[in-house]
Amino acid sequence: MVRFAAFLLLAMGAFSGAAEALVTDLSNRRIEIRYSFAGADLILFGAVGTTPINAQDETYDVVIVVRGPEAPAVIRRKDRVGGIWVNNETAAFPSAPGYYAVASSRPLEEIAAPTVFAAYGIGFNNLPLVAAGPRGLVAPDPHFRSALFRLRSEEGLYRQEQDNVSLVSEGLFRTDVHLPANVPVGEFIVETFIFQDGSLKARNRINLTVDKEGFERAAYTFAHHYPFLYGITAVLVALCAGWLAGISSRK
Amino acid sequence: MPLYLPIAELSMNVFVVLGMGGIVGFLSGVFGVGGGFLMTPLLIFAGVPPAVAVATQSNQITAASVSGALAHWRRGGVDAKMGAVLIVGGALGAFFGAQIFTYLRSLGQVDLMISLAYVVFLGSVGGLMFWESVRAIMWQRRGYVPPRKPREERHKAWIHALPFKMRFRKSHLFISALLPMAIGMFVGLLSAIMGVGGGFVMIPAMIYLLNMPTNVVIGTSLFQIIFVTALTTVFHSVNTQTVDIFLAVLLLPGAVIGAQIGARIGFKLKGEQMRALLALMVLLVCVKMGLGLVLEPRELYSVADIEELGGSH
Repeated sequence: MVRFAAFLLLAMGAFSGAAEALVTDLSNRRIEIRYSFAGADLILFGAVGTTPINAQDETYDVVIVVRGPEAPAVIRRKDRVGGIWVNNETAAFPSAPGYYAVASSRPLEEIAAPTVFAAYGIGFNNLPLVAAGPRGLVAPDPHFRSALFRLRSEEGLYRQEQDNVSLVSEGLFRTDVHLPANVPVGEFIVETFIFQDGSLKARNRINLTVDKEGFERAAYTFAHHYPFLYGITAVLVALCAGWLAGISSRK
Repeated sequence: MPLYLPIAELSMNVFVVLGMGGIVGFLSGVFGVGGGFLMTPLLIFAGVPPAVAVATQSNQITAASVSGALAHWRRGGVDAKMGAVLIVGGALGAFFGAQIFTYLRSLGQVDLMISLAYVVFLGSVGGLMFWESVRAIMWQRRGYVPPRKPREERHKAWIHALPFKMRFRKSHLFISALLPMAIGMFVGLLSAIMGVGGGFVMIPAMIYLLNMPTNVVIGTSLFQIIFVTALTTVFHSVNTQTVDIFLAVLLLPGAVIGAQIGARIGFKLKGEQMRALLALMVLLVCVKMGLGLVLEPRELYSVADIEELGGSH
């Protein structure tokens, strides 16, 4: 239903505007994790263009959502059992974004009403997360849901209310996208929303690919697709390295 | 200089990794121990996921044991037949250990098992070693020399009652193959779940239970460790993909150089004092691991992603 409404809006935007509607681009559309990868900072820039708003004299707001690939995640909680702290209760999320960042030109609550953001699924609290229960999917325990957000925020994987979209000049805006070193690989979606007077005026999406490249990619693929050969290789490498180290240290 | 480790999936400073190898190598050189029981906890304290630390350490130990085993082999210090029996047991132990490891990982309890195993083994081995070395130091001060038991008396009667007797020429033994097999199996199990070579269990067992002559004990133990840690590496690679070759190789140079320096210092220390120091170090690691279990963690929740769930690839 939300998606249908969004689609309608998008279609209306496309019909009313000219060919040059909202455009965005990233300083780099393909991130390669190499051996020295310590995270990446990207610049996203965009132009409002000929959208329903007149960027020359009217004020507007920009909200940018970057979403990483969906993957299952399990949250475990430690409890004291017989004097020691043991992983006890768990909540399994069959699908949660591996990266999620929201940047905005003003604090979200000043841009539009919470219901508006809920309708477009903007913000972590509006993500449609479900947990696996004994009888199918259920709404997750709020403690576990907020733990997922907190843990991933600490890892730099979820970022909300941290990044600013700066409005450069008439109709131009930019923001920084921070990808930490532990960013998951896969397809990312970068969505840009233009708000005015508390309602959505335009939106678009572009893609971003994060991939392990070269040697690192090869090692990861090798380990996961040919685990037996990887194990044998690890042993042979260890034997050779150990033998060489022994020879060189005797000299 | 940060280095991205593709299997551990984290960036570590190369010099920190080299330094950790050096510190553990130094200590293992001073005390003449393998060092696996120090390196695995150190990797965990440095932020490497415990499962990756254990599996990678098996790989590292294979590398670290090669030159020593070769040297003992050339010197004739390896009882290959005894080693083979120990390896058969070790292979079985490592296989079951890796199965337990995989199962507990899917339940999210592998970190707990690793910590508990460390607390129990380091606590008991460290405690025994400490008591034994302190007693030896006190006896020495009083000038008391304990009477040495004859070899036949030390060899327990029940050991000779076991079936499947085998002759081990190099060790001058005619005993049941079941005993070394059981020892090997236990060591293999520890290797798979703790990321250790297991020398700290195997060497006392060879001396006190099997009654092997001391000139073949270390060589045969290294011989067994190479094969069993190699098998453990393969088992962990197949089951959980937690072996990081890069981390293992990076730890090696520091370990080798550190061990050379450490060995020179080790010669200057007296046996009993050295053992008491080693025991204290073992107990320290044990206490640090134990505190992690007993103290309330700062964060009660943890997140596991798909790979730790043994999911699809």
